[in-house]
Amino acid sequence: VPDWDGRGLPPVAAARVARAQASGVRTSLLSAPAAASLQSVGLDPVGEVMGCIVEQIGWQGSLGCGATFGFGSGFGSPPVPAIGSRESRWAGMRPYADAIRRGYATALARLQLEVQALGADGVVGITLSVSRLGGAREFVALGTAVRARSTVRPARPFTTDLPGSEVAKLMQAGWVPAAMLVAFDVVIKHDDWATTGQAGSWSNTEVSGYTELTQHARALVRADVEQQAARLGADGFVSSAITLNVSEVEVGEGHRDHLAEVSVTGTAVAHFGAASPVGRHAKRPTERKTQSFTVLPLAGVTPRRGRDL
Amino acid sequence: VTELSDLGLPQDAMRRLAEMRPGQSTSLFTSDLSVNEFLLVREAGFRPLGLVLGSSIYHVGFQARSWSKNQELDRLSAAMYHARELAMTRMEAEADALGADGIVAVRLEIEFKDFGNDIAEFIAIGTAVKGDEPPASGGSWRNNKRQPFTSDLSGQDFWTLIQAGYAPLGMVMGTCVYHIAHQRFWQSMNNLGQNVEIPQFTEALYDARELAMSRMQSEAEQLAAEGIVGVQLRSQSHRWGGHTTEFFAIGTAVRSLRDDHVIAKPQLVLPLTD
Repeated sequence: VPDWDGRGLPPVAAARVARAQASGVRTSLLSAPAAASLQSVGLDPVGEVMGCIVEQIGWQGSLGCGATFGFGSGFGSPPVPAIGSRESRWAGMRPYADAIRRGYATALARLQLEVQALGADGVVGITLSVSRLGGAREFVALGTAVRARSTVRPARPFTTDLPGSEVAKLMQAGWVPAAMLVAFDVVIKHDDWATTGQAGSWSNTEVSGYTELTQHARALVRADVEQQAARLGADGFVSSAITLNVSEVEVGEGHRDHLAEVSVTGTAVAHFGAASPVGRHAKRPTERKTQSFTVLPLAGVTPRRGRDL
Repeated sequence: VTELSDLGLPQDAMRRLAEMRPGQSTSLFTSDLSVNEFLLVREAGFRPLGLVLGSSIYHVGFQARSWSKNQELDRLSAAMYHARELAMTRMEAEADALGADGIVAVRLEIEFKDFGNDIAEFIAIGTAVKGDEPPASGGSWRNNKRQPFTSDLSGQDFWTLIQAGYAPLGMVMGTCVYHIAHQRFWQSMNNLGQNVEIPQFTEALYDARELAMSRMQSEAEQLAAEGIVGVQLRSQSHRWGGHTTEFFAIGTAVRSLRDDHVIAKPQLVLPLTD
C-alpha cells in the first residue's frame, strides 16, 4: 500500500470511487420511501459516500479562564466574563476546540471529494458522528450522493443532513438545501465570588454566572452558523440539533472553572422559483406554498415532535 | 403526484445553487423547525425570522418539609415559576427585537445539572415568526400585552389551529411543588398486607394538581383567552426524592379569529408505512 500524504482521498477510497464510476450498479443508503420521494423531484442516487478522519487530540490548551490567579476572585471585584475559544488569545481550550472543528470540517470535505469524483450534484441524509478510539477521535460523515436531472450543475455539490423524503418536500415547495453546517465552540467561565455565593445559597436565586456561560456559548455558535450561511449566500438555516454540555474543571487548589461545549448542526437552504422567461436574473422568485389537506390516517400514525435540544 | 418534466424542478433548483454568490443574501432566517413544520408554518401564512432562546441557570433553594404533613412547598414552587419566567422572558425579548408577531413550537425544558447542588437549567427555545398579513378580523397577531404570542404547539397543530379560525395568545402554565406526607406508623401497620386506598395520598395528589391547574387557568384569564389547548399535566420529582413532586400544567391559550370554526372534512388515508 503506498503511503498517503493526507491530501485528497486515501488510496482505498479513491479506488472505491473509481470502481463505482466504472460500474453501472448504483448503491445508496436511502430507505425505500426516501428513494421514491427523491425520484419525484428529479434526484437520482449515485452511490454512498463517506468522509472520515481520525485525530489525536493530545494538547487541549491551557485549562483555565485566562484570568490570573487572585484576579476576579476577591469579594466585590468585577466579574470575569465567559470567554469563547476564539475570542481571546489567552482563552484556554483553543487548541482543543480547533481540533474538533477541524475534525468536522475535514470529514465533510472528504465526503465532498468523493461526491465530486462521482460527478454527483449533492449528498442527502448525512450522518455525522464522533467516536473515541483510545485517545483519538474518529469523525465520520456518511451519506448518499445524488445527481439531478438537470443541464445546470451547482458550483459545488450541496450537502444536507435531512433525509431524502424531507429534501423532496422542501424542493417541491421551492427550497433547495445548500450546505450542511456545523458550529462548535468551547466557552470557559471563571467561578467568581458572586457565582460561588449564588450556587451555595439557601434561598432561590439565579446563578447569573452560569446563565451567562450558557447564553454566551449558544450565542457564539448561533452567530457562527448564521455567518457561515450568509457567506454561502443562503436564504435560511434550519437547525437539526443544538447540544450543550457543561462540566466542572478544577484548575488549581480551590479554584474552579466551568466549561461549556456547545454545537449546532443543520442545513442552510436557498429559495428558488421557476426560471423567468425574461432575463436570467429574475427578481425575488414567487414561492410555491405547499397545499396541505387534512387527513385521518387509518393506521396508527401519530406525528411526534422529538428532536435534540 | 405532480408531473415533473425532466428539466423542470431539479433544473431550477440546480440553477439557484449554481448562481449562489457569497454574501449576496439580504434577509437570512434561522429556525428550529422540522421540514414539515417549516412548510406548514409558511402555508399558514407566517414566515420564520429566527431561532430564539432564553435560558436561566437557577439555584433552587431549600425548604424544610414536615414528615407527616401534606403541604405545598411554596419556596420551591416560587423557584420553578421564577426560573421559567426568566427563560421565557428572555426568549420573548429576542423575538421582540426581531420584530416578530409570535413564537411557535416552543419547548420549555428543565435539566438538573451534575455540578453544584440543586442547580438546574431552564431553557425555552422556539422559532420567531411574522405573519404575511395581519389577521383577517383586524388587529394584530400579538397578544393583549402587546407581546409576541407564544405557543408550544407543533407546526402541524399550529396550522390546524389557524385553519380552524383560532390564534394562539401565549403559553400559560401553573406549577405546584407538593410534599406528600409519609404514613404514620400505626397507619402503615394497619394497612400491612391489604389492598386499600390511602386517602391522604389521594387527597394530596388532588390538591396539588388542582393548584397547578387553577394557576394555569388564571394566567389564561389574564390574557383574555377563550380557552387553552394542548394541555399537558406533568408530575416530575426532579431530584427531590419520592415524596416531593412538582405538578406542572402547561398549555397554549387561544382566542377566536372568526365565528365559524369548521375545517375541511378530513380525507381518510391508509398509510403504507408505519
